[in-house]
Amino acid sequence: MQEWLVVTKVTKVHNDLSRVVDALPGLVWTALPDGDVDFLSQSWRDYTGHSPDDIHRRGWQAAIHPEDLPRLLERWPSDLAGGERGEMEARIRRFDGQYRWFLFRASPMADRSGQVVKWCGMNTDIEDRRRAEEADIDDRKRVEEAIRESEARKTAILDSALDCIVTIDHLACITEFNPAAERTFGYRRDEVVGKLLADVIIPPSLREQHRHGFARYLATGEARVLGKRLELTAIRADGREFPVELTITRIPLDGPPSFTGYLRDITARKRSEEELRRSEAFLAEAQRLSLTGSFSWSVGTGDITWSDQLYRIYEFDRGVHLTHKLIATRVHPDDAPPAMERMDSAVNDGMGWDDEYRLQMPDQSVKHIHFVAHALRDKEGRLEYIGAVQDVTERWLYEEALAKARLELAHVARITTLGTLTASIAHEVNQPLSGIITNASTCLRMLAAKPPNVEGALETARRTIRDGNRASEVITRLRALFARKDATAEPVDLNDATREVIALSTRELKRGRVILKEELADDLPPVTGDRVQLQQVILNLLRNGAEAMSAVNDRPRQLVIRTEREEGGGERLTVRDAGVGFEPQGADKLFQPFYTTKSDGMGIGLSVSRSIIENHNGRLWAELNDGPGATFSFSIPRRPEVGMSPRTRGRDGTPVADVSAQARGNS
Amino acid sequence: MTLTRSLVSVVDDDESVRESLPDLLREMGFAVQAFSSAEDFLASDFLGLTKCLVLDIGMPGMTGPELQEELKLRRQQIPIVFITASRDDSVRPALIARGAVDCLFKPFSDTALLSALNAALRVA
Repeated sequence: MQEWLVVTKVTKVHNDLSRVVDALPGLVWTALPDGDVDFLSQSWRDYTGHSPDDIHRRGWQAAIHPEDLPRLLERWPSDLAGGERGEMEARIRRFDGQYRWFLFRASPMADRSGQVVKWCGMNTDIEDRRRAEEADIDDRKRVEEAIRESEARKTAILDSALDCIVTIDHLACITEFNPAAERTFGYRRDEVVGKLLADVIIPPSLREQHRHGFARYLATGEARVLGKRLELTAIRADGREFPVELTITRIPLDGPPSFTGYLRDITARKRSEEELRRSEAFLAEAQRLSLTGSFSWSVGTGDITWSDQLYRIYEFDRGVHLTHKLIATRVHPDDAPPAMERMDSAVNDGMGWDDEYRLQMPDQSVKHIHFVAHALRDKEGRLEYIGAVQDVTERWLYEEALAKARLELAHVARITTLGTLTASIAHEVNQPLSGIITNASTCLRMLAAKPPNVEGALETARRTIRDGNRASEVITRLRALFARKDATAEPVDLNDATREVIALSTRELKRGRVILKEELADDLPPVTGDRVQLQQVILNLLRNGAEAMSAVNDRPRQLVIRTEREEGGGERLTVRDAGVGFEPQGADKLFQPFYTTKSDGMGIGLSVSRSIIENHNGRLWAELNDGPGATFSFSIPRRPEVGMSPRTRGRDGTPVADVSAQARGNS
Repeated sequence: MTLTRSLVSVVDDDESVRESLPDLLREMGFAVQAFSSAEDFLASDFLGLTKCLVLDIGMPGMTGPELQEELKLRRQQIPIVFITASRDDSVRPALIARGAVDCLFKPFSDTALLSALNAALRVA
C-alpha cells in the first residue's frame, strides 16, 4: 500500500510535471553535460513532427536550419563548458517544412557538489519579433539614407548656388554660410558660423534696425521682411558697403525659429540701371531741348510708340491710344493729303522718307515739323519704322522773317540804288538845263531891252539849242550806261541748267508748298547760248508759276517743268502751272516792260526774259491751259543763225541783271 | 544903272555856266568876272573887289564850301550865293548856317538869282 502510494504519487507527479512542461510557451529540452540531448518535450516533437527516436542524442539536429546549425554546434559546447546560462538564436523546421526563428536558452542544473549534471533548455518562437525588428532596421536604414541624401542635396545646393545663402538660428547667429557668401563677403564659413549675423554682414548703420526687427519678430511674430524681395545695403569683410537684393524665409521646423537669407550682389545691376536711367534722362532732356520726339511704328501690328516729347509736340495726353487716324487729326488740313500720299508711297516701297509739313493744334495754332522715318525689318522680316519728328516752327518763323527782311532789304537797296542813280541823272541833266534856262532868261532880257540887243539874243538862243543837245547826249550816255554786258555763247545742256535752277529753288518751292514735277527729255543735245541768262529765264518762269499758285488752296499746287526736242533742230522748255492764269486778251501785254498787276513787282521779269530768249533767236510765249493755270514756253534753235550771235544787244536795252523783279499778267 | 557896278564873281567848273551866267548878270546890271576854279579866284586881283560870289558847290580841286572856309580864314567877308546841280536838301541849311546868303539849285530862275544877289549886296 505504501509503495503503491509512493509509486502512484510519483507517477502522478511525473504526469503533472509532463503536463506543465508541455504547457510551457516553448519547446523544452534537457541535455547531458556532454551535450547529448536526453529529453525533448512533447511540444518539441509535435512542433517538428519528429518521433522521440529521431530526436534523441543527435537526432534533433535535423530540425535545425542548415545555415544555423554550424554556428549552433560551434558555440554550444563552449557555452555549456562554461557552465553559464546561454542564449542563441536559430531557425527550427516546423512539421510542415517552414523554418521559424527561435531563441535557444539553456541553464545548467548542478548537484550538491556543484557539478553540472544536466542542461535544461527552452526554445521560444521569436519569428514575429525578429520580423518586426528587421522591418524596423529597414525603416531606420531608409530614413538614414534619406537624411544622407537630403544632406548631400542641401550641400550641393548650398555649394553651387550663385546666390549667397546664409542661415541663422533664433539668436540671429550664423549657422550656414555658403561658398557664394564666402566669395561675396570675403569671409570663410568657419570664421563666421556661430557669430551674430549683424556683426558680420550688416553695416553698422543698419544693425540697430536689424536687431530691433528681429527682436520684434521673436516677441510678436510680426514679420515685416519675411518672404519679401528687399533691397538693402550689406558690408564686406574689407568694410566696403554694396547693394544687395535679398529674401528671408523662416525655415519651417518646429522649435526655436531659424531663418534662411538669399542674398545677391546687385552692384552691377544698380550701376547699369543708373546708367540706363541717366541715358534715358539725357535723351529726354535732349529731346526736350531740341524739340525733337522719336517714334517707332510696326506696320504689321500697327503698334506705335512715342517718346514723351512727341506727345508734347502733338499735344496729346501720354495715356492716349495712338492710331494713325488720331495722329492724322493733327496734320494741317491743307498739308494732310500730300503728306499722307508721300507716306503711303514710301510704305508701299518699304522705304524711309523725309518730310516737312504743318500741324494744326485744337486751338488752331500751327506748328511746322520736320519728319524723318527710317525703314527697318524685324526678325520676322516685317516692316518697321523708327524716326524722329522735330518741331521746326521757330526755325521756320525765323527763316520766314529772314526771307521777309531780305526781301525788304533788296527793296531798300533797289530804292537806294535808284535814288543814287536818279541823283546822278539829275546832276547830269540839270547842268545843261541850267544853261538852257539861264540863256533863255538872258535872251528874253536882251530882247526886252530898249533897244533890244538882237545880236546878244541870237547868241544866247544858239547856246540854248546847244545846251538842249547836250542834255540829249546825257540821256544817250545814260542809256549806254544801262546797256547790259555782252552775252557769251557756249554749249549749254538745257537739262543741267534746269536742274541747277531747280536745286536753287527747292527751298522756295517747298515754302510755297509747290509740288514740282520734272519731265526732262533724255539725251538732249546742248544748245549754244548764255547759260546764266537762260537760267535767269528758267528761274523767272518757275517763280512766276509758283507765285501764280500762291492763292490756290483747293487743288495741288503742281508745277510741271518739261524739256523736249522740237522739229527743226530746236529745243523747248515749258513750265506749266495750276495757278490763276491771265486774261486771254492780255497775253501780249504780259511781256511788256513795267506791266504788272503786283504791288511789289517792277514788271520787267517777263520782258527781260523775252528779250534774252529773242537774243538767242528764240521765242517766249504764254498760253492758258485747258484746266486751271497757264503754260509759259520758250524755244530756241540749237545753233544761232549766222550773223545773229547771242552777243547782239537786247532790243530794248533793258538790263537783264534784275530778274528778281517779277511781272505777271494775272488779274 | 549905277555908275559903279557891283562886281559879282562867278566860280564854276562848268563851262556853260561860265558862258551863260555872266551874260545874264550883266543884263541885270552887275559887273562880272568868271573863274573856272576856286584856286583861280583866290589867285586873281578881283578877290578884294568882289561884292558877291556866285559859287558852285561841287568842283574838282577846292570845292565851294572849302573856298567859303578859306575866305573866312583870310577874313574876306564876301557874301556867297551857292549854286548846285545836285539837289540835296540837307546841304542848303548847313551852308547858310556857315554864313552863305543863299543856295540855289540848278536850274534856277532869273528872279530867284536876282533876289539872292540883292540880299547879298544888302548884307555887304
